Amino acid sequence: MEVIITICLGFMLVFAIVAVMNKSLLKSAIALALVSIFLGVILYLLTAKWAAVFEVSVCSGLVTVISISAISLTHEEKEQLQKKYMDKRRMAMLPYLLILCGFLLVFIVLTAKIQLPYDQLAEPSTETLSEALWDNRQADVWGQIIILLTGAFAVVTLFKEA
Amino acid sequence: MNFIELAILTTGFLLILAGCYCLMRTYHIIKILIGIEVAMKAVTLFIAYAAHINGKIGLAQSFIITIIVVEVVVAVVLAGISLNLYKKYQSMDLRNIRKLRG
Repeated sequence: MEVIITICLGFMLVFAIVAVMNKSLLKSAIALALVSIFLGVILYLLTAKWAAVFEVSVCSGLVTVISISAISLTHEEKEQLQKKYMDKRRMAMLPYLLILCGFLLVFIVLTAKIQLPYDQLAEPSTETLSEALWDNRQADVWGQIIILLTGAFAVVTLFKEA
Repeated sequence: MNFIELAILTTGFLLILAGCYCLMRTYHIIKILIGIEVAMKAVTLFIAYAAHINGKIGLAQSFIITIIVVEVVVAVVLAGISLNLYKKYQSMDLRNIRKLRG
């Protein structure tokens, strides 16, 4: 299991860098969908199965559809895009920054011998998702309903023909 | 700290860094959406791993579902803003928002 999680983490990082740095927006959106799929695999292996289903179907399906439709409705030429925003030059430092920060983090964790607080953990619970969501976290459900209504009103307002 | 903990924490931090770097360095509104999404993936990863070592997997899944709902609404609102911005200025540059009056 750990091997698969490590491989998925590596792919996630690589595709996230592709999504952030690629000058073609379409490829960026597809790379973002791939990041979601690998995150879904990791969630499944960490036994968060419902979250994995939501991650793969919503984040890698719906968000990709939304962003790709926004990209295709607002078509800008690739050369013009590059000239106007200079994303390639602006993003050029990112891989070096990530490599540096990665080595720095691993070095700090290994030298300072940082431990996760296992000894302060409470008892593990057998609460299922439906019990947690519908019984104990009802305020979250109301918050989600309000956020969804906000999104619906935003769609009605922003997408209406002037 | 064993290897998998180190790998998950380092990858999550680097994902947040990549997303924030994208937010800081670009003006294209779809790229900003992609940066926000990349950073939010790292948050989802952290919550899932916290639940894995904590044992409270149901609670964490409800949090993750809330995060996913927020992600989708953010994506929809940013897409709508980008379409309107493109209709008005034929450009996706976020700096154009400053020109709006009233």
